[in-house]
Amino acid sequence: MAFSFPRHRPDFWTWITISIVAVLCILLILPILRVLTLGFIDPDTGSLTLDNFIEVFTRNYYLNGLKNTLFVGALGTLGACLIGIPLAFFTTRFLITGKTLISTLAILVLVSPPFISAYAWIMMMGSNGVITNFFGGIGINIPTIYGAHGIILVFSLKFFPFIFLMTQTALTAVNKSFEDAAENLGCSPWQRFVKVTLPLVFPAVSTGAIICFVLSIADFGTPAILGRGFRTLSTIALSAYRSELGGPPTMAVTVSILMMAISMIALVAQRRILANRRYASSLTNLPVAVKLSGWKNAAVHFFSHGIVFLAMLPSAVVVYTSFLKTKGPVFVGGFGLESYDRIWRDAPDAIYNSFLFAIIAVTFITITSGLISYVIVRRDTKAAAAIDFLMMVPYLVPGVVMAIGFVTVFRNGMPNFFGPAFLLVMIYYIRRLPYGVRSTTSSLRQIKPSLEEAAVNLGATPLGAFVKITVPLIFPGIVVGALMGFITAINELSSTLILYDAGTITMPVKVYLAVLDGEFGLAAALSTILLLSTGACVYAVFRFAENRNSAFI
Amino acid sequence: MASVEISGLRKLYGDVVALSDISISIPSGTFYTLLGPSGCGKTTLLRTIAGFHQQSAGQIAVDGSSIEHLPAHQRDVAMVFQDYAVFPHLSVRDNVAFGLKQRRIPAKEITRQVEEVLEVVELGKFVDRMPHELSGGQQQRVGLARAIVVRPKVLLMDEPLSNLDARLRVDLRAELRRIQRDLGITTIYVTHDQEEALAMSDVVCVMEGGIIQQAATPLDVYLRPSNRFVASFVGANNFLQVGNFKGECVLKCCGSSVSQHLPAGPVVCALRPEDISVKVDEDPSSLLNTEISIPVQIKEVSFIGREMEIFATTDNGEAIKAVGRSDSKVIALPVDSRAWFCVERQNLSFFRDSELGERV
Ligand SMILES: Nc1ncnc2c1ncn2[C@@H]1O[C@H](COP(=O)(O)OP(=O)(O)O)[C@@H](O)[C@H]1O
Ligand SMILES: [Mg+2]
Repeated sequence: MAFSFPRHRPDFWTWITISIVAVLCILLILPILRVLTLGFIDPDTGSLTLDNFIEVFTRNYYLNGLKNTLFVGALGTLGACLIGIPLAFFTTRFLITGKTLISTLAILVLVSPPFISAYAWIMMMGSNGVITNFFGGIGINIPTIYGAHGIILVFSLKFFPFIFLMTQTALTAVNKSFEDAAENLGCSPWQRFVKVTLPLVFPAVSTGAIICFVLSIADFGTPAILGRGFRTLSTIALSAYRSELGGPPTMAVTVSILMMAISMIALVAQRRILANRRYASSLTNLPVAVKLSGWKNAAVHFFSHGIVFLAMLPSAVVVYTSFLKTKGPVFVGGFGLESYDRIWRDAPDAIYNSFLFAIIAVTFITITSGLISYVIVRRDTKAAAAIDFLMMVPYLVPGVVMAIGFVTVFRNGMPNFFGPAFLLVMIYYIRRLPYGVRSTTSSLRQIKPSLEEAAVNLGATPLGAFVKITVPLIFPGIVVGALMGFITAINELSSTLILYDAGTITMPVKVYLAVLDGEFGLAAALSTILLLSTGACVYAVFRFAENRNSAFI
Repeated sequence: MASVEISGLRKLYGDVVALSDISISIPSGTFYTLLGPSGCGKTTLLRTIAGFHQQSAGQIAVDGSSIEHLPAHQRDVAMVFQDYAVFPHLSVRDNVAFGLKQRRIPAKEITRQVEEVLEVVELGKFVDRMPHELSGGQQQRVGLARAIVVRPKVLLMDEPLSNLDARLRVDLRAELRRIQRDLGITTIYVTHDQEEALAMSDVVCVMEGGIIQQAATPLDVYLRPSNRFVASFVGANNFLQVGNFKGECVLKCCGSSVSQHLPAGPVVCALRPEDISVKVDEDPSSLLNTEISIPVQIKEVSFIGREMEIFATTDNGEAIKAVGRSDSKVIALPVDSRAWFCVERQNLSFFRDSELGERV
């Protein structure tokens, strides 16, 4: 029997896989590799060196930055856990009036940008804040919000929803028999919580905590606005980048590598701890929420509603402030629409740019995330596995770092060949692509592959089957992914600050600059527009998503 | 209507040989069934024909023209899926029309053909239903209608009935066969259910380990299995050791001479449980010369209604089973009592003593 080897013809999906890998190489791998290599190169001689790292690890300026970053990151995460875990426990184990409202508000907190709450806290507790002045008026000097404690407060109140939502999901899936058994063996309710329930939801809690930690490390707006001399790696990276303009951004890149390394180490550590903690749970005996009475009931309600109230307070203050009567940068008492009037005069381009860039980026995300999901879910190749892995990378690379990588790749040697607008759209695209892909991937996993095969078998081309069968079936997932991409793209601050120029200013940048200038009215009006767009998208996600909470985390 | 010719087909998954040197020839209009235990490569063969897998080597020809290099959507072989694969977002009408639209048939003609084929599968009343409003059996009818409406050269079915309950399976089996006959469409049907295979097929192709063991009519496969695997997989069988005693072949368990001329090497004798008659108190020496009798010790008799199953061991400890009309005398036998299992010599067959040992 003679063997004939079939002519190998790459099919449609092979071409798509190749294209995806190419795009990811250019937009993701290349910038990160450039950042990694530049850190090991002497800016003057161009030779390989470890001097940059030696400088970072010996000079106090950088060492303090590192310590500060870890400090606010760790304590912010701890704060988020201390808020999120009890809240999750209360809302799943006790009957809480207004439970849906609590998770809705938590989601709103989660998606609204951190720099807005940072500056709202300044308006409340800054040197000229409402609360500061109130207490000052009655002769009490309370500490201002500036510094490490302020940043930790903002991080805790900003990032607790990750812990809350993930722990809540895990708690509703814990088999009640475990807890019953513990109680039966003589545990008090508190012992039972610490010894049984908490360990069972530990995987979820630690995943949420890692997200908080990585986001805290990467966050630029909060330390920039509240720091006042308290510098973290992200603010140091940006200043280094600014002072190195014109030459190779060596120190900015070295600090960036450090930031990436911290995120990676945290993730790897969490994975290792989790590795031998996999609890299979049968859902035979679902936990039920009990009704509390008396002071316990009151305390639990007070805590649950109080927390989300406190977390929403900054947004409320911002919206309120935007309707205050102003004259220039000064509030003159009473209500008025001057702030909005000023946006139309001073910052229409910021609004226009923000929407334009976000919409273009999200359009690309929408088109490509379906294709990428298809490759990840349906194609059993090494390339597909690699793409799946690469989709996690943008979560781990801070915006400042990614932007510096973009600059070193796309501006180096070809000045302004790629305009800032193009780079901004591309960086929004690559940084927010994982939101789209994750959402479409989870939809696609629920679709039987035989449906696409049936279409092909009946004569549809692979692309035809994808468009006529796959896309309609994963449509809700695509919409949710696009909305999440839009929310996160329009609120992007850190990488935009590095890449924008006069013609490509966006709303978050304008807010940031206005806050630095003390133009709180203008900042409030712009932030209100951001919050409104974000809220509208959240509402739309609620309409489309099968599981409203899991769409956001 | 078309003939199918497969030659030298191989399929490897990494190092795993899923199909090894498959060569079959299916005349036009045949109902051809691939039968074999789970994991033997049936699905792989079917999906390779459909173009969902790329073969490692070999040719597939439909009506003499080779299709193995064509992408799946150009092969004109329609498939009916085990999990129905009815498009959940399309109505019954649009599901059935899907293939016709791909072929750019005029809308009017599509409407006519869809209604016609839905009459054939008895779903005429359901044209405008959505799939989730249909039962499993009805969904599979939609799957069938969708496949046959495009008048494919070959119809492929991968265990289309295995997700249905037992009653429906038997009903739909007959209906499938009727529709296939009426249309005269060449059909390759995959199942692990031997009863289904024997009842429906023109040709049954028994597979094991990615290799074709036997391809023949249902009766031939049952009466003249080509090797020991087929003999044990299709229908039940007892295998007894055969030894050589003074130049004669005898059953080791009882010394009965079974044949003069068997080749050298270990051989087993196969006898079907339903060919055995149980004698309780007759003297076996009074038997005719055309029968052999095997003394056994009864281990268990289970009465299962229409018939009874008798489990026993021979004198050298081989397990042996008989099936017969229920007989109160036999059912009353206590454990370990003696009896004789009698078989006509013409019902014995012989195989080399290995898993795939051929018939001798
Ligand atoms: N995608 C795959 N990758 C690796 N091995 C496979 C794959 N699909 C099937 N196999 C192997 O090929 C053999 C034949 O499988 P299959 O054709 O599905 O058998 P059947 O349909 O007869 O149950 C099995 O051993 C199975 O494990
Ligand atoms: Mg199979």
